[in-house]
Amino acid sequence: MRYLFKILWKDHSRTHLFWAVLGTLAGFVILLSGIHFYENIKGIFDDNSDLLDPEYILISKNVDIGQAFGFGGTGFSEKEIAEITDQPFAQQVAPFVSTEFPVSAFTKNERFPDFYTELFFEAIPDEFIDVKSEEWKWEDGQNYIPIIMPQDYLNLYNFGFAQSQGLPQIPKEVIGLVQFQVRLRGKPHHVTYPGKIVGFSNRINSILVPHDFLTWANKTYGYTEKYKPSRIIVVTSDPTDPAIMQFIQKKGYDTIKEKLKSSRLNIILKFIISFLVIIAAVIIGLSFLIFLLSLQLMISRSADKINKLNKMGYHFTEISIPYIVLLIILLTGVTTLSLITTQLIAGKFSSMAAEWSLQISEKPGGLIYFVAIGLIVLLFIFNSVSILLSTRNLSRK
Amino acid sequence: MIFRAENLIPLPMTELDTSGSAIWEADSFSFDNGKNYLVEASSGKGKTSLLSIFYGLRKDYTGRFFIDNNEGGLLSSRDWSLLRKNSVSFIFQGLELFDDLTARENILLKNEITKHKTVLEIEYMAEQLNIASFLEKKCRILSFGQQQRVAIVRAMCQPFQYLFADECFSHMDKNNSEIAFQLIYDECQKNGAGIILTSLNYAKIKGIDYHLKL
Repeated sequence: MRYLFKILWKDHSRTHLFWAVLGTLAGFVILLSGIHFYENIKGIFDDNSDLLDPEYILISKNVDIGQAFGFGGTGFSEKEIAEITDQPFAQQVAPFVSTEFPVSAFTKNERFPDFYTELFFEAIPDEFIDVKSEEWKWEDGQNYIPIIMPQDYLNLYNFGFAQSQGLPQIPKEVIGLVQFQVRLRGKPHHVTYPGKIVGFSNRINSILVPHDFLTWANKTYGYTEKYKPSRIIVVTSDPTDPAIMQFIQKKGYDTIKEKLKSSRLNIILKFIISFLVIIAAVIIGLSFLIFLLSLQLMISRSADKINKLNKMGYHFTEISIPYIVLLIILLTGVTTLSLITTQLIAGKFSSMAAEWSLQISEKPGGLIYFVAIGLIVLLFIFNSVSILLSTRNLSRK
Repeated sequence: MIFRAENLIPLPMTELDTSGSAIWEADSFSFDNGKNYLVEASSGKGKTSLLSIFYGLRKDYTGRFFIDNNEGGLLSSRDWSLLRKNSVSFIFQGLELFDDLTARENILLKNEITKHKTVLEIEYMAEQLNIASFLEKKCRILSFGQQQRVAIVRAMCQPFQYLFADECFSHMDKNNSEIAFQLIYDECQKNGAGIILTSLNYAKIKGIDYHLKL
């Protein structure tokens, strides 16, 4: 085979092959680095998901002018709730239950000024609530109503209201000692229970009572119209899933946007990465063409030789061997170089990210090798087929 | 090995006057196993065409031909490749040498796929044909007569049952031609192979069994 290689390799164009290799290399490096960064940055978002605590998403409807004047409601119909339940991102869904009778609260205490307010209660199943307390329960005949308040309310009182009005600030731990009465003004009669604040929720922005209590109270005292639930709580495994944001926007619902910020970032990131991947694909496509054309040019330059070799008894598959060997050498070179370059870039990026206290792996993941080898195999197959076809055609002439 | 032509005629020849041709006018003509043929005709009578068709290089013909009862038109590229490596050797009129390679490399290029001769045997043949001193020279600087002798040595570097020699002595003097023919003839005898030799002129060559006019 020595002389076969000698005469057929002679007709290569160094410039063509150089640019083909360089182009493929550039495409590969962009593509592989893109994949590496995406995997890592996505990892950072995933790690931070517990910090942002958006595994529980509250969805409500937007209040518009029509509703303000009493046309239409902001409640979710059963069909709409079912639709949310059917979404792939929704693992668990629960509507908020609200009181179907008026409620008021008041204090009668010598050490505390008299206080009276109209009130409302809502309830959701216990597993959605971030406050764990032994007192958070309802049994028949129980002599107090456990209540969970939003942390924000306490903050509002302590840091806003109390200070400006010269009232005492109340520490969280002491609030359970504050005694007040809750009057359920239902039909056929009113009842009064002592209320007991058992905790403050960061997650749910409402005044909560146990689900069992509200179910019972609504059945016993409820007489007002049964409203559709106006808020839904959704549990999701991946709060950064862009599908959540898309769904909420498409349906015109509302949620606390802050919590889904990482999801929006994720969408932008995906957009940038796909843009990068498209560019890499175009570059790889173009360099693939240069590759193909360089080899084809090399083969056509050798047309006369291939014809002679065929006459001597060389089969076109044998004639293809030097071209395929060259192809393997070039592609192996491209793969090795692109993986090394990607590793260098990843290392550089990792140390840069460390300065911003981001943890990014300096070692590219397995996916990169998988993609690189897959692409190379594809390039190899296409080029080999093209080599075999042209040597066959030329040896027939 | 037998080559048999049945109503065979190259397409460019159909328009021409082929009267008196032993092959183009025959319904069936056989080149028998181990026999030596001299095919003689003036230019343009289809000597090279005949050999090219028998070698699978030309497909522009009507009629059929058979190699040991296998129809030539039905052979695959793989079959032809094997035939050209192991069964039929061809000294081309156009020689088909590689100008960039030395005489030795040209010969070895063939021997590489057949592994038929040793380097010593090749050198011995080159010596007989008086081209030993040119072996390391690039083919492009050799005279046509010298190149013809390189092509002859190359053609010997494979096993064969038939040898096609297409005007292969045209540029050699009488002495060299005789030596060259002797070399070819001996090699054929050793292999039990037949020869189809084409020539422009009637040449009296010993060892020829049949003399055909095309």
